[in-house]
Amino acid sequence: MSEFVRGRLVPLLVLLVVFALVPYGLAKFGKGYFFQVAQLVLIYALLAVSLHLVTGAAGLLHLGHAAFYGVGAYVAALLGTEMKLGFLWGLPAAGLAAAALAFVVALPTMRLVSIYFAVATLAIGQMIHTVLLNWVAVTKGPNGVMLFSGITLFGTPVKSPIAIYFLVAGLVALSIWVLHRLSHSYYGNALRSLREDDQCADAMGVDTVRLKIEVFTVSAFFAGIAGALWAYTTGYVSPGDFGFNTSILVLAMIVVGGLGSLPGAIIGAALLILLPEVLRGVGDLRNVMVGIVMFVSILFLPRGLLGEVSALSLVRRGFGLKWGAAPSDREVGWR
Amino acid sequence: MSLLEIENVTRRFGGLVAVDGVTTRVEAGELVGLIGPNGAGKTTLFNLISGFTPLSAGAVRFKGEPIQGLKPHRIAARGMSRTFQNLRVFPNMSVFDNVSVGAVGAMGQSAFAAVFGRRARADAISARTWEALERVGLGGVAEDLAANLSYGKRKYLEIARALAMKPELLILDEPAAGLNDSETADLARFIRSLNGEGLSIMLVEHDMNLVMGICSRVVVLASGRKIADAEPAAVRADPAVLEAYLGVDE
Ligand SMILES: Nc1ncnc2c1ncn2[C@@H]1O[C@H](COP(=O)(O)OP(=O)(O)OP(=O)(O)O)[C@@H](O)[C@H]1O
Ligand SMILES: [Mg+2]
Repeated sequence: MSEFVRGRLVPLLVLLVVFALVPYGLAKFGKGYFFQVAQLVLIYALLAVSLHLVTGAAGLLHLGHAAFYGVGAYVAALLGTEMKLGFLWGLPAAGLAAAALAFVVALPTMRLVSIYFAVATLAIGQMIHTVLLNWVAVTKGPNGVMLFSGITLFGTPVKSPIAIYFLVAGLVALSIWVLHRLSHSYYGNALRSLREDDQCADAMGVDTVRLKIEVFTVSAFFAGIAGALWAYTTGYVSPGDFGFNTSILVLAMIVVGGLGSLPGAIIGAALLILLPEVLRGVGDLRNVMVGIVMFVSILFLPRGLLGEVSALSLVRRGFGLKWGAAPSDREVGWR
Repeated sequence: MSLLEIENVTRRFGGLVAVDGVTTRVEAGELVGLIGPNGAGKTTLFNLISGFTPLSAGAVRFKGEPIQGLKPHRIAARGMSRTFQNLRVFPNMSVFDNVSVGAVGAMGQSAFAAVFGRRARADAISARTWEALERVGLGGVAEDLAANLSYGKRKYLEIARALAMKPELLILDEPAAGLNDSETADLARFIRSLNGEGLSIMLVEHDMNLVMGICSRVVVLASGRKIADAEPAAVRADPAVLEAYLGVDE
């Protein structure tokens, strides 16, 4: 089997599972609940991959990612209820609103380094969360917002769970493809150089501050998209879903999966969403067990289930590049 | 017009004057050595030229245009690249990816181009990365993590990364530090050959023999002041240099 085929196999298998096996199983055996779980995995995969770009690749410890997820969810929900704007407006608006907010807060924050940056993002997350919770006139405060209208495409309501599932899966796949191109390219190499030594990257002609602002904004855009998908699929948003706990959960996903590894972020998201569902039977102990699994996995696989180095070489083969196969072959790099 | 003109450049750190009114230049195609005892201000002068440290006074012109006050990446984009005294490679990136940062830094790849771009730009960056890698002889370890290279090879990696920017002026801060005699001799030959291809180089070095052997002109700093600026033979005979620098060394 050629390297090319082998490298393409993994993403093809994943797509097969997401677009054929899961919907088939859901249609056959699933009830509404399983659809919710499947969509949750997809939404968190997008959240994790978007955080991967900032924290895994560019190395900026971001503790407020859930806030941009929340902004997206609320923008979609409020546009739907207050202004009767449907999915085709709400989805991009959610992404753009989250991105715009991220851009504004990034301008002063990006000059901060390491722990100071982390604390700043923590504060931003808490601030946005507090606004969602207390700006009752707009966000309805702790009661949250009900979005009854659901998804409407070109005037036709999308009602069947399987159609909604395909829509969410398609949008998540498209978003992850964009993030994959950003991460697995020379642009991605520049991002990783920020993480390694940003002063040195500066000396190489990389505009470090601009790149950090850019990547923070792009990441928030996709968090906003994930938020909108959450709002449309659950029909209800409330501040509790977008707090610090959620930011930390997404962070745990990318760490367990492999910090710096995009496929790892997807694996981590699937694991940390599915595990508590699978463990539902054990009742209250399940959160303890999820904790134990996380702890043990970090202890024994500190580089994650699929670490950055293996992930990059895997993806390179998917590009048809011979990375890891023939040393000093010119067919390495990115395309 | 010289390639690099340094005019009355001064840098103070509190009460300490690390670089004190230094004036010198690098002509196109020249290989200039910069020597001086520990703490003479050599690294500080490099930081001033490359934009890492703001000037307290004076002016720096590169290709005739003032560059003081510009960010390091802007200066780099104009065709000046540097290495660091305390070896700074990107440890968790492969050798290839390390060098590619120099290429992408100089050539640029926007987010949009990364997502939707055609292959031409990416292939051009790959080609330039390979060229630099093979120039320093690291083509065979392109896929290794930089952290796993030997110290000597990491030194060449840092130079390759700078070369991938296709600079007009390369400034090297103590490239031979920590190398043994034969490695130093190899490095000297390598630097000479780079210069032979027309690249202008400014070289800070402790190793007197290296500098005297390959440089066409040597600038000597002591306590932030320039005390000599001449051909190696003249510098070697200069009593001020002997007192300030060689006297300490021998
Ligand atoms: N950021 C800084 N803040 C305060 N003092 C500094 C700073 N950078 C350098 N100095 C001081 O300036 C002087 C010149 O230092 P510099 O590193 O330029 O010397 P050098 O010639 O490169 O020495 P070496 O041969 O040891 O590398 C030293 O006394 C140093 O302590
Ligand atoms: Mg120095």
